[in-house]
Amino acid sequence: MQAEIINDIKFGTIAPEQIKKLSVVKLNIPDTYNEDGYPIDGGLLDQRLGVIDPGLICKTCGARAKTCPGHFGHIELVRPVIHSEFSKIIYMLLQTTCKRCGRILLNDEQIEIFKAKNKEILDEGFDSGHIHDEQSEEQTSSIKKLKNLKKCPHCGEVQGKLRFSSPTYFYIDERRLRPDEIRDMLEKIDDSDLRILGIDPEASKPSWLVLSLLLVPPVNVRPSITLESGERSEDDLTHKLVDIIRINQRLDQNINAGAPQIIIDDLWELLQYHVTSYFNNETSGIPPARHRSGRSLKTLAQRLKGKEGRFRYNLSGKRVNYSARTVISVDPYINIDEVGVPLEIASKLTVPFYVTNWNIEKAKELLSRTEYPTILNMVSKDGKRKRILDINREDLLKEVQPGHILERQLMDGDIVLFNRQPSLHRLSILAHRVKVLPDKTFRINFCVTKPYNADFDGDEMNLHVPQSLEAQAEAFYLMEVKHHIFSPRDGDAIITNSEDGITGMYFLTKDDTYLTNDEAAYLLGIAGIYELPKPDKNGKYKGKDVFSMLLPKGLNFEEKTKRGDFVIKNGILQKGVVTKATYGGGNRLFVKIAMDYGEDVLKTFIFVSSKVADAYVTLAGVTVGVKEYAPNSKLQEDRGRIIRETLDNASSMVDQYKIKKLEPLLGYTMRDSLERMIIAELNVARSKAEVSLSKNEDPTNSAMQMTFAGSRGNMLNLEQMTMFLGQQATLSGGRIKRGYYTGRVLPHIAPNDIGPTAHGFVTTNFYMGLSPIDLFMHGVGSRVSEVYKYLLITRSGYLYRRLSNALQDFYVTSDESVRDANNNLIQTIYGGDLINPVNSQFAELEEKESK
Amino acid sequence: MKSDHELVPVHEIMDEKEVRSLFEKMNITQNNLPKIFTSDPQAKKLSAKPGQIIKVHRTDFGNEYLYYRLVVEG
Repeated sequence: MQAEIINDIKFGTIAPEQIKKLSVVKLNIPDTYNEDGYPIDGGLLDQRLGVIDPGLICKTCGARAKTCPGHFGHIELVRPVIHSEFSKIIYMLLQTTCKRCGRILLNDEQIEIFKAKNKEILDEGFDSGHIHDEQSEEQTSSIKKLKNLKKCPHCGEVQGKLRFSSPTYFYIDERRLRPDEIRDMLEKIDDSDLRILGIDPEASKPSWLVLSLLLVPPVNVRPSITLESGERSEDDLTHKLVDIIRINQRLDQNINAGAPQIIIDDLWELLQYHVTSYFNNETSGIPPARHRSGRSLKTLAQRLKGKEGRFRYNLSGKRVNYSARTVISVDPYINIDEVGVPLEIASKLTVPFYVTNWNIEKAKELLSRTEYPTILNMVSKDGKRKRILDINREDLLKEVQPGHILERQLMDGDIVLFNRQPSLHRLSILAHRVKVLPDKTFRINFCVTKPYNADFDGDEMNLHVPQSLEAQAEAFYLMEVKHHIFSPRDGDAIITNSEDGITGMYFLTKDDTYLTNDEAAYLLGIAGIYELPKPDKNGKYKGKDVFSMLLPKGLNFEEKTKRGDFVIKNGILQKGVVTKATYGGGNRLFVKIAMDYGEDVLKTFIFVSSKVADAYVTLAGVTVGVKEYAPNSKLQEDRGRIIRETLDNASSMVDQYKIKKLEPLLGYTMRDSLERMIIAELNVARSKAEVSLSKNEDPTNSAMQMTFAGSRGNMLNLEQMTMFLGQQATLSGGRIKRGYYTGRVLPHIAPNDIGPTAHGFVTTNFYMGLSPIDLFMHGVGSRVSEVYKYLLITRSGYLYRRLSNALQDFYVTSDESVRDANNNLIQTIYGGDLINPVNSQFAELEEKESK
Repeated sequence: MKSDHELVPVHEIMDEKEVRSLFEKMNITQNNLPKIFTSDPQAKKLSAKPGQIIKVHRTDFGNEYLYYRLVVEG
């Protein structure tokens, strides 16, 4: 749909004549209902203001509750009051104009200069679409000077000192101005002078900012509610308007009775207070008007403002039907494209069931049921919706015929959309199949947590039920989980096993894993496979062979990994172990399966292998304790050697530097060269430690095995626990320098020490504990990384949000160009090369195989 | 006329016939195209007038592909 183009919007203030025209009734009684519970004529719920109770007829338009739009009334204020929301503008106008003749306080020459500068705006008028602010830079600065002017250049009147006190008090030479005096002054201002001040006299005359008529909104805007006890409770706005009329009436009586000026002024001020708080009950400088209970009233401004105001709450935020939300938890026995829905939710959500000649038997069967799954509502051909209850079930069963739509409870196999906020990418909403389960949480397979970025520490997720067949088809073909196994970012598998599942697969496929008949049968039984591979001569089953049973028949695959070659021949794993890399992250086993066997086979493989992996870690038992991080004698020896070498090398560099013999790096001073060379040397120490660790691989050390499998922990973690922490970095990437002026970080370090340990090279490890100085250095490093993390997340998160909002409705057309919702041409060819990143790995694999 | 800077993809002004067939092929009007200011160095070099369409021969993904920009005042 092409939206209409709005050329401009103009806001102005309302004129008293306009209020009179709009108003259908003058209100003058400060009450709502009489003793009989009937609305009082001239009261705040006068029936001419519109009707909201069903059955009544509006006295103004003759329409009934649903069609009567409501009509405005008005209150005639006996004494004018200032509109507090505009007092700043009134102040500006009083400052810039003469208090006697009303002319702007610029002399003719200045006026001409100003007009010349802003000719365009002044000639074309305020409808020309110029934005107000654009003209005002110079204008405001020149007008600001006006308040210091002593004498009017037009009539020569000496200007008194003007003072404004929020919200509605104005003084000249410390004499309080009454609102009617202010109105007289504002009335005197010339139209041409107003244009110079940036006010369009056609749209808003300044004198309208002093109110003598108050527009009263229709009852539709401030409906009264009837409590259960039969008591009526009025809206806050009605309460406020009652106050205004009451004070207005008292003021009128006092004036007519010739009361002393002091009493009149007091009442006048009270009227001003009520009108001010009617517009905005949070106006600074006045105490907020309160309810009897002590709660402050919600008046006009409060209705619109802020998060819970009309704009952000009602207009920008909408609520959705056919949706559910609850806590999520894991279920490894649920397929990756399923979602476990609590029975309680499934029996409230509905899917339309279109009755035809061919399914009417089924429809009747469902309709006759009294328990889940049954029909909740029936929509007949004329669009009438009937709730199905025990009392009318029999009647409706006779009534049902082709063309009716039944609203059926959610059942196994229905397509639903599942979402976790924040929805940062398209994989945050995927289509799942319903699986109705007991208990109260949504259940998902562990493998689909990654695209949602979900965990189970209390996360909640939303579920939406597509209603039309078109919507269901669209969800099925575009959003099903199996179509989104590969990430649109780089084509790596994003729906995949991780953590424990990887550990399990790694241990299962290790060369020395042999299973008993019982174990093998148990694992394969979980996978739904009821035959065994060939046992070896001892009657044992190789772990690799058990794993091979899960692979698609006849699969051929070969790849080099960090842990050696990974070879599958004719559906049998010949060589290599499964690591994290096998499950995505560079390795293309998934890509190969998807390419040769299709997404459904890949989906099944992910699901089945994750079940088996989980079963096997449980069977094998992987434990990590402090002993895993105790360095053995070989490692301790290496650690001492590496630290000694590093420190020796560094100190010889420092010595060279001290006698000015250090060979500087190209383009660096000698000091900078030393710094860079030391950092390089310390990095070498780290890689030496890594080599030493890898060499001392211990198959009984679970922590180490998990690192190699890629399921948890990396080499750096191991190094820091068993060897040494290494150089602690700062935000700028250099060594830690901050501290005393003698170039030391702590008082325990010798002045001007530029060696490694003085600037954050930590030689102790977590197992032995950190020395006090090392602990401090480590603290510096930790703080830096925490600060960095924060900076990175806030900055990149917002950048990403802006980017994805800007790109959100781009799509690829049939001619391979990219368009947006308004058919704007974004790219003539998608990506410039027509390559979809999801499929890029497919292409690379194909290329590799063709060689 | 074509631009010939070694770091910038080749820009050229399209003639009216070419523009018409492009619009027909792509089912667009000139307002659906990305813009280029007359003050853009490439537009200046071609002395492009507002309303003309500049064709850009981009090669940033290996193969050459075309990009079209509407010249606007600025």
